[in-house]
Amino acid sequence: MKRRDFVKNLSLASIGTPFLLNDLKFQTISKPLFPIQKSAEDKVLVIIRLGGGNDGLSTLVPLESYDNLANHRSNIIIPENDLLSITNTLAFHPAMTGMRNMFNDGKLSIIQNVGYPEQNRSHFRSTDIWDKGLMEPNATTGWMGRNFDNSFPNFPEDYPNNSNPDPFAITMGSEVSATCQGLMGNFSHSVNDPFDTFNLSESTALNDGTYYGAHMEYLTTIIGQTNAYGSQVNDAANNGSTLSNKYDDNNPLAVQLRYVAQMISGGLQTKVYILNINGFDTHDSQVSSSDVKQGNHTDLLKTLSDAVEAFQDDLALLNLEQRVAGMTYSEFGRQIASNASLGTDHGDAAPLFMFGSCVGQLVAGSDPVIGNQIQNQEGLPMEIDFRDVYASVLKNWFQVAEDDIQPMFEHEVTYYQFLNGCTTGLKEDTLTNNSLMVYPNPAISSAKVRFESENEWTRVEIIDINGSLIDVIYEGNLTKGEHHIPMNVQNLANGQYIIKVNKRSGIETKNFIKAK
Amino acid sequence: MTSDQSIDIPVSLSMSPYSGNFTEVEAGHLLRRTMFGATLQQIRDAVTNGLSATVSSLMSIPTLNPPLTYLPEEQIASFGQTWVNSVYPSGDSQPTENARRASIAAWLMENINNEGLSIAEKMCLFWQNHFAAEASFDSRATYNYFDLIRTYALGDFKQLIKEMTIDPNMLFFLNGVSNQSFSPNENYARELLELYTIGKGPQIGDGDYTNYKEQDVAAGAKILTGWTVEGMRSTSISSPSSSFNSLYHSATSKQLSSHFGDAVITNAGAQEYENYIDIIFQQPAVANFICTKLYRYFVNYDITQDVQDTVISQMASTLIANNYVIQPVLEELFQSDHFFDISVRGAIIKSPIEIIFSIFNTSFAKPEYDLSTNYEMYLTQYYYAGFIGQNYAAPPNVGGWPAYYQSPSYSKLWINSTFIKQRFSIAYYLTLHSGIEVNNNFLKVDALQLLSTFVSPSDPIALIDELCLLFFPKGASASEKLLLKNILTDNLPDFEWTLQYNEYMANQNDSSFSDPVKIRIESVLYQIFQMPEFQTI
Repeated sequence: MKRRDFVKNLSLASIGTPFLLNDLKFQTISKPLFPIQKSAEDKVLVIIRLGGGNDGLSTLVPLESYDNLANHRSNIIIPENDLLSITNTLAFHPAMTGMRNMFNDGKLSIIQNVGYPEQNRSHFRSTDIWDKGLMEPNATTGWMGRNFDNSFPNFPEDYPNNSNPDPFAITMGSEVSATCQGLMGNFSHSVNDPFDTFNLSESTALNDGTYYGAHMEYLTTIIGQTNAYGSQVNDAANNGSTLSNKYDDNNPLAVQLRYVAQMISGGLQTKVYILNINGFDTHDSQVSSSDVKQGNHTDLLKTLSDAVEAFQDDLALLNLEQRVAGMTYSEFGRQIASNASLGTDHGDAAPLFMFGSCVGQLVAGSDPVIGNQIQNQEGLPMEIDFRDVYASVLKNWFQVAEDDIQPMFEHEVTYYQFLNGCTTGLKEDTLTNNSLMVYPNPAISSAKVRFESENEWTRVEIIDINGSLIDVIYEGNLTKGEHHIPMNVQNLANGQYIIKVNKRSGIETKNFIKAK
Repeated sequence: MTSDQSIDIPVSLSMSPYSGNFTEVEAGHLLRRTMFGATLQQIRDAVTNGLSATVSSLMSIPTLNPPLTYLPEEQIASFGQTWVNSVYPSGDSQPTENARRASIAAWLMENINNEGLSIAEKMCLFWQNHFAAEASFDSRATYNYFDLIRTYALGDFKQLIKEMTIDPNMLFFLNGVSNQSFSPNENYARELLELYTIGKGPQIGDGDYTNYKEQDVAAGAKILTGWTVEGMRSTSISSPSSSFNSLYHSATSKQLSSHFGDAVITNAGAQEYENYIDIIFQQPAVANFICTKLYRYFVNYDITQDVQDTVISQMASTLIANNYVIQPVLEELFQSDHFFDISVRGAIIKSPIEIIFSIFNTSFAKPEYDLSTNYEMYLTQYYYAGFIGQNYAAPPNVGGWPAYYQSPSYSKLWINSTFIKQRFSIAYYLTLHSGIEVNNNFLKVDALQLLSTFVSPSDPIALIDELCLLFFPKGASASEKLLLKNILTDNLPDFEWTLQYNEYMANQNDSSFSDPVKIRIESVLYQIFQMPEFQTI
């Protein structure tokens, strides 16, 4: 496999060469050699972020509103007969032949009008909301990070280890994704090129309990993990292979997806891969002034569509289709009306794609309806909450129990039926006697306590780990049924608590964490 | 990766004048935060001159020569002359523009590599991160943008915002040039509020971000309509400039939201944007926003409620009392008890540019060859920083680099498995390897010159102590110092280093004596540059 040669372009040809003087024996080399488990049957999720806010209305055109759309965006709209029709009422942008083929093959699903209530049109805030899956402004963890935190609570301490030798998640490129931020660390490991070898000088720096000390510990951990994870990734890349000839070396997303296929086929047990394609903030020159079928948005959609098609082709050839599924996301869609710069400004909801042979051919959500008169700055209203998409992915693909999913979110989760095409032996949701749940958990400013009661007197308490009563959040008679009692935790000190529900019919308790 | 819950909160939140000791440790802290790579001599001079005089010196912003022509692709300006007021050639002007881009990138690094005792370069990077504008397609406009930042580096923030609003580079970056009355483009109007002045608070209603509403974004876009740029890539106009065309300006009255007192901005043509910015700056949230950002950049990423209520609130009061002039705020901050509090020492992980130039500047690595060679070397420094995540003229997005704003990780985002490896590779390259090579000339740490600045270079223990003082914000542990000393002495008894050093001093021009000393120092530096302690300031 061809290695990326970008270093040479930067006139740093030999910078990547690891080098040790023989007389400098100061490096501690402690690289545990874990055997690669070829038999891993685990599901893998590939997440592709379309950075900048993708114009959904140019990506997937609602044909019944075409005429009105053409009025509102006359300078950028693509002629109807150039679009790639996929259903009677929907058509893809002409650059998306790859994804059109996948849809026709039953390997691409569309979820329309995805967003969240009271859409925030700031890139940063909205990206935060999508990465975290929470509206709480002070939230720190990502949705996937919370999922990993549930299973691996002591991360990053004690990792990697014999049971979990590989990175839990990989972000392709030079940065780690905020979706994988856990309480104590980011679960994703950044990989620029899986063929790189790692042998970094390890450190003995200690944490002295200050900000500086926290950095010492962080850096020491990263260096150690880089060596350990780097060697696992490297082994997998060398053991793996890719078979498709559809990858284009000039398509950066395709190059990264080929690396992903290489690592998966090499036995890496990483569950989540995150990739970025930036440039969707098309305020201007979304289309070319000479041809609306050309321009920045066309190039971006072609890059995405071609890369995903090549990847899916490779998965089929590698016999990995049953294990791998993918999804896209973008921080928002764009406004219905175009602007005078042949572009579009920040908007609201937009379609989201899922791909893979387990995904099927599904169109969820209704086609957007565009009126002949629109408000100034109008975007598309949200129909499907992206947090429910995440929750459904966790439930249907990773088979996480509903009782573990609800506490990861602050709203009441709704599950959708997608991405369950390859699920065999789906675990029944374990119905326990304990109906008590706290969500979100951990929480920063507010949370809800969910439980069931008979027609009875009930008292809900917050108790600290020493057993002292901290607060009573509810006391009184409740009717029979499910209750969601709000709880203000803004003024609680950070740490672990117990929520205790005293009912005539019995006492239930649940651990709860107040986070910063 | 540790939870911040376990971190000690600052002992002193006092903004009153610092009255503790001002030794090399405190001087090092001050200079590491305000400069990219102070030398041992600069730290010692700071101790001699005292805190107040040192802060005063740091506040001087030197004037600079503009970037020079050094590539043959430049078709208008002659070699060694500046091109910043030169037209473009008719026909294919891209080669000339490419040459100017390389020149400007090299010049940006030249300024940092040659910084004196001044906060100038740190402030320029602060503003570059704040405005985060990409280079336009005319490098003269790009240069003028950087020049504007430098002019107001410590100056009147409100005036800087006004001039930036109609700066040609900015008008292109955030689509001001296509913001016209019949079809407003909101890009700049949104960032003016969200990122440049008042900041976005929590969303408290539909389109209401506490400090402003979507209504203000839409109104702001109309207020700013009508601005265009003349002379970009011109073959006859020597410098691009902005101009106002009332035909494209929205002449209606613009209604702002309750967050701006329901103010109405009436048509005032080319002056209208200034009236609008004056209204924005009437809100105290502006001072709080920029002071929070200054605090994060110079002191610590973690802003507790106490820090907000005491330190930042005092900074904001000082800023307002001084009509939005930045300098008094920083003078007060750098001489405050809180700035020297032990809890904030080493609290920031170095950015790529800080890493690069804490190696180059502190170790006397500056190119001193002919113009072409020097500029090529500076350009390579620019690539080095980009290689580990900070491409000076091209921030990753309009919010700047995430390490300066992204909670909860902040400066930790500079470090991950890819970047840490590349940081170490660069350290290796600049110490034990050849360094940057251009035309068979080399630029790397100058180990012997560094050694000549030490008080007791012949004593390995004292030498390691001095290196730790110079490169680490909080020193090193006994075992780490022992490790470094063993590298220095090559695991031989200490006196062997002393003998080697003394022989070198007696035969300074003989490479058979100087090379062994040089390689021992380079080996120690390589190890230092890979240590977590060195990654922080």
